[in-house]
Amino acid sequence: MTIELSKTARKKLPLKERYARLTRDLDWEPSYVAREELFPYTRYEGIKIHDWNGWQDPFRLTVDAYYKYQAEKDKRLYAVLDSFAQGQGHLTLSDASYLNAVKLFIQGVTPLEYAAHRHFAFLARHLEGPAPRFAALCQSIDELRHCQTQVHTISNYNKYYDGFHSWSKMYDRVWYLSVPKSLLDDAMSAGPFEFLISISFSFEYLLTNLLFVPFMSGASFNGDLPTMSFGFSAQSDESRHMTLGLEAIKFLLEQDEDNVPIIQEWIDKWFWRAYRMSGLVAGMMDYMLPKPVMAWNEAFELYFEDQMLGGLFPDLEYYGIKPPRHVDDAIAEKDKLSHDIYRILHNFSFAAALTTQTPSETHMAWLSEQYPQTFDRYYRPVWEKHRRIEASGGRVFFQGLPQLCQVCQVPMAFSEASDPTQICLRRSEFRSETFHTCSDGCKWIFDREPEKYVQAWLPVHQIHQGHCGGRSIPEVLAWYGIQDGDNGEYKGSPDQQAWASWHADETGQ
Amino acid sequence: MTVKALYNYDFPSADRAEVFGDDQLVYVLWDGNPLLCSAACFRVPKAMTFGEFLSTVVHPWAASDPDFDPAAVHNWRLFDEPIDPEAGRLLADLGVGHKALLKFST
Repeated sequence: MTIELSKTARKKLPLKERYARLTRDLDWEPSYVAREELFPYTRYEGIKIHDWNGWQDPFRLTVDAYYKYQAEKDKRLYAVLDSFAQGQGHLTLSDASYLNAVKLFIQGVTPLEYAAHRHFAFLARHLEGPAPRFAALCQSIDELRHCQTQVHTISNYNKYYDGFHSWSKMYDRVWYLSVPKSLLDDAMSAGPFEFLISISFSFEYLLTNLLFVPFMSGASFNGDLPTMSFGFSAQSDESRHMTLGLEAIKFLLEQDEDNVPIIQEWIDKWFWRAYRMSGLVAGMMDYMLPKPVMAWNEAFELYFEDQMLGGLFPDLEYYGIKPPRHVDDAIAEKDKLSHDIYRILHNFSFAAALTTQTPSETHMAWLSEQYPQTFDRYYRPVWEKHRRIEASGGRVFFQGLPQLCQVCQVPMAFSEASDPTQICLRRSEFRSETFHTCSDGCKWIFDREPEKYVQAWLPVHQIHQGHCGGRSIPEVLAWYGIQDGDNGEYKGSPDQQAWASWHADETGQ
Repeated sequence: MTVKALYNYDFPSADRAEVFGDDQLVYVLWDGNPLLCSAACFRVPKAMTFGEFLSTVVHPWAASDPDFDPAAVHNWRLFDEPIDPEAGRLLADLGVGHKALLKFST
């Protein structure tokens, strides 16, 4: 009898009720402080929320279930990592130059995961409703797990290749990494609702297939099983984050009509911010993968033009939301973006923790095929000039520092939509000072909040102020944590030489 | 529009002219040369002559392109306004201020 009783007492609650008890039921009304004191950040942005319980929980996840799933995924991932490491899997990559994409990932993306972890923890405390707080908590832990699993996944390459050793310091200091860092800092220093639109919606929903997924498909095509497995391991989290992004925007739009113009401006701003950063991914996709997956323009058409402009925005029109301002500029430059970006990296890789190289004949043939409108006309002649110079023992590096955009912090190397031979230069005056921006999108963002962007920590200007270890290149590289061999030209680099020696015995057989 | 904040949001510009003392930042663009991806950013004394600016700053940078020929440099512009800078004049006297953009063609 007692056994029977015990069984009855242990009977599980239905999932829905269990979820309600473990999440929303744990919330309470404050009694000795005002609500405004408990949640000080949810009013000043102008967003009006009438009913926090209107937030739908798409996953109904509880903490115990969440940990169980994550632990299982971790087990599978770490088994792959062990077997790849023990079997010297790095020797089966397509080529050592592929790892430049992975260097860009650990230097530029992994620290974003950590920053997102920190700020979702903040939202998990400061959003007023229990359901969005819990969703933010799960995402915060996801982001921390992603950061950790990426570090563990990629650390294996640090044993054999250059450029993997100081990514965390580099993220805070190195010029091209200020592009992602300044974006996340911009989002973290905004209010909680703007952060949701910037990261959960624009980043995780609108552009995730152009920011995150290309690294994973690049890994899959180039024999990088660990990074690919990490991608799979993160995929279910990412789809949850996408759903959170969509839920966040719909919730905010449904709460009050006055929210619509505010949200529209944030979409306009954060689409362009995230899109500008995706330029680095475009350069990676078209130039860093020895076995390319898909050209940037094709990915942009499929994942952005078809899925977002064709699928999502018609749905959002119901709420009065229009496609992002300046989206036409992004479409207009899809055949130029990756080339403009890789030219920057190629000019400046002497100061980067990755190497670059002029594309080979075969690679150029692929680029011609992918970019029939632009490559042969505008970009091939430049690469051919590089090849001529390199054939006579030279290598062009930019003997100086570039002009940077005040907003996206990318060197001002983007071309005018109407003329790929002209660099797009925009400028604003604020408090009698000139500020330069790379595009109409970045200029619009600057002019909207100049007080914010005048504070930008622009790596080039900081070097000129003497804040980066000194004003000479060797001093700056030492301060960046860049060691000899991390940087410069791929051909003849320690990575390339080591790769050639490891594979030398294969050739004569 | 201004930044929405819970406090008085007022911070100085990170690169305001005064932090560079007697120097200033000047950008130089080699217009129409795609080998160099962007304009360059230099820190130079306001009291530098244009001739010295050319020989010690612009030419060594432009020589990143081995085909650079200093004699071919022409069509100087300050932002978009054509200028005809004399070598002996100071940058400040030519109207080249902090964060000004100079362009040339070859």
